[in-house]
Amino acid sequence: MIVTNIVAIAVNTIILGSIYGLVAIGMTLIYGTLRILDMSQGSMVMVGSFIGWGVLVVAGWSPVLAILAAFAATFILGVLTQQVSVQPLMKRRNAIDFEMVTFITTFAVAMVLTNVALEVLGPFQRNVTPVIAGGITIHTVNLPYQSLAMAIVSIALMAGLGLFLSRTRWGMAIRAVAQDLDAARLMGVPVGKLYPLTMGLASALAGVAGVFLGGLYFAYPGAGDLPLLEALIVVIFGGLGSLPGTIYAAYAIGLIQATAEQIAGETWSLPILYGVILVVLIVRPYGLLGKPSEARL
Amino acid sequence: MTDHLPAAGRQALARSAFPAMTTGRWALTALAVAIAAVIPLVMTNQYYLSVMVTTLILLVLNISWNFVLGVAGVWNFGQLAIYAIGGYGAGIIMLRTSLSPWLALLAGGVVATVAAILLAFPTLRLYGIYTSLLTFAFAEVIQYVILNDSSGITGGSFGLPSVPGLFDKLSLAAQNRAYYWTILAIAVIATLVLAAVKQSGLGIALRSIRDAPAYAAARGVNPLRLRVIAFAISGFIAGVAGALYVCAEGSISPSVMGLTPMSVYVTMLVIGGLGTSTGPIIGTILVQIVATLLVTHPGAEFTILGLFLLVMVIFVPDGLAGVAGRYWRRIGAWAAEGENPPGDEPPDAGRAGPDGSAAASQAEGSPDPHVA
Repeated sequence: MIVTNIVAIAVNTIILGSIYGLVAIGMTLIYGTLRILDMSQGSMVMVGSFIGWGVLVVAGWSPVLAILAAFAATFILGVLTQQVSVQPLMKRRNAIDFEMVTFITTFAVAMVLTNVALEVLGPFQRNVTPVIAGGITIHTVNLPYQSLAMAIVSIALMAGLGLFLSRTRWGMAIRAVAQDLDAARLMGVPVGKLYPLTMGLASALAGVAGVFLGGLYFAYPGAGDLPLLEALIVVIFGGLGSLPGTIYAAYAIGLIQATAEQIAGETWSLPILYGVILVVLIVRPYGLLGKPSEARL
Repeated sequence: MTDHLPAAGRQALARSAFPAMTTGRWALTALAVAIAAVIPLVMTNQYYLSVMVTTLILLVLNISWNFVLGVAGVWNFGQLAIYAIGGYGAGIIMLRTSLSPWLALLAGGVVATVAAILLAFPTLRLYGIYTSLLTFAFAEVIQYVILNDSSGITGGSFGLPSVPGLFDKLSLAAQNRAYYWTILAIAVIATLVLAAVKQSGLGIALRSIRDAPAYAAARGVNPLRLRVIAFAISGFIAGVAGALYVCAEGSISPSVMGLTPMSVYVTMLVIGGLGTSTGPIIGTILVQIVATLLVTHPGAEFTILGLFLLVMVIFVPDGLAGVAGRYWRRIGAWAAEGENPPGDEPPDAGRAGPDGSAAASQAEGSPDPHVA
C-alpha cells in the first residue's frame, strides 16, 4: 500500500512536473526577456489541444505531424499575439505600469482566443486520441505510454531550449537582452526581431504541451485555464525569469500536487498548491531563485 | 481654476474636498443622479430593473476595487474574495442572529475590512505581479474552502439560500425599486467619499507611491501603513457591496468569485479608466449593457469585451473617463481663447477634468496618463 502510494506519487510527479515545466518555462522565458507575464499561454495550450484533435481525430494523421503542426501554429499565433498586444506598448516599456498593462493586454488576447474557440467550436469536450496508446503497470500503478511520451518530449524540449539559449547565436541574444537590454542593443542584437521570436517559441512550447494534455484530458475552449493557473504557480514558486528555478519549481509543484492528490484527494490539490504559494511568497517574496530586479536568465 | 493646478490645486485643496468641482459640475452631477433616481419610476420592465440593481451592486464593488487598484496602484486581485466574504458574513449573521438587516449590511463591511487588512499584511513585502498572484491565490483558496465546506456554515457549492432581504415586506416590484434607490444612494456616497479621499492628503500620498514609490518613500510617505489603509477602505466598501448582493439576490454562492467574473470587472474598470472617479461608473454601465444584449451568446460577449479591452489599453490608456476629461478641457480651452490670447499650452497642463482626477494625477508630474 505504501509502496504503491510512493510509486504513484513518483510517477505523477514526473508527469505533472514535465507538463508544468513545458508551459511554465515559456512564461518565464517571456518574463525574463520582455518583463511580461504572458497570460495568453493558457490559450496556446488550448489551441494546441484543438490542433491535436484536428490532426489526430478529424484528419487521422500521425502524432508527429500533430506535434509539428501545433508547434508551427502556436509559434505563429505567439508572434501575432506579440505584434498585437505587446509591440504597440513597447514605447511605454520603462513606464511603471508596463507589467500591469501587458498583463491586461495578453489577458485580453486570451479572452478573445478562448471565446472565439467557444463560438466556433462550441463548448463540447472533444476526445483526442492519445499520441501513443497503451501503457505499462508498475506496482499496480497504471502508467500510460502517453504520459511517458509527454514526460520524455517535455524534458527533451526543455533540454533543447537550454541548448538553444546557451549555444546558438539567437539563444545568446535572448539571454543578452534579458540581462541588459541597452547593452545588448549596443552590441547589435536585433531586439525588434527577438521579442516576437521569444514569444513565438514560448507559445510553441505551450502548444506542444496542449497536444499531450488534450490526449490526457479533452480539447475544449477552457482547456487552457487550469494549465495557466498551474504554470503561474510554478513561475512564481521558482522566481519569475529564472529558468533553473522554474524547472526545479515545476517538479516541486508536481511533487506537492501528486502527494496532495494521494493523501487528500483531487479536489484539494489546487487549494493546497495555492496555500503553499501563499506561504512561499510570504517567506521568500521573489520565489526560490528569483531576484527582485536583476537579470535572471 | 484656470491657473495651473500645482498651485491652484493646493489652494483649492485647503478649501474643499472636491477641488475640481465647480458649481456647474455639481449641478451636472446632481442632474445625473436625479435622472438615475427617476428611472425606476419610468421603467416598468422588472427584468431590466433587476439587471440595473445588479449593475449598481457591481458598481459599488468596482468603485472599491478601483480605489485599491487604480488609485493606490496595488495589484489586488483578491477583491472578489473580500466581496464574497462581506456577502457571506452578512448572510450568515442575518440567518443565525436576529440582527436588523441594515446592521448586518454594516457588519458585512466590517468583516470584509478585517479580511482585507489580513490580506494586506502578507503583500507588504511584494509588489507588482507578485502581489497580484498572492492576492489571487488568496481568492482561490477562499473559493475552494467555501466550495468544499461541509460544515454547513456556508452551504458549500450551493451557497447560502433564502437570506432575508432589506425590504421583505414589500411587493416584488416595490422591492426592486427600494433596492435600486438604496444601492444608488450607497454608490453615490461611495463615489463622493472616495473622490474626496483621493484628493485628500492620504489620497495624494497613495498616488505618489503608485507613481514614484522610491521618491514618495524618500519624502517620508510610509508605503506599508498606507497600503494597509487602502486595503481597509476598499475592503469595507467591497464588503458592503457583497452584503448588498446577498440581500438583493436573497442568496450567495461561490460562483460570485473566480476568473470569469473577475475578467469582466477588470474590463469594466479599464474601459472606464482605472484610477479615475467617473471611470468605474462609465465602464460598469457600458460593459453591463453589452453583457445584457449578448446574454445568449457568451462566446461573442467575451470576444467583444476582450477586443474592447485590448484596444482600450493600447490606444486609450486612461479609459473613457480620461477621453471625456480631455475633450472637456479642450472645450474649456476653446472657450477661454476668447478671453486670453491662444497660448501654446500643452493639453495636459492640468485644467481640472470633470472629476478632477485625470488632471490631478497629471499635475503631479507623471509624464503620461496611465492605466495603473
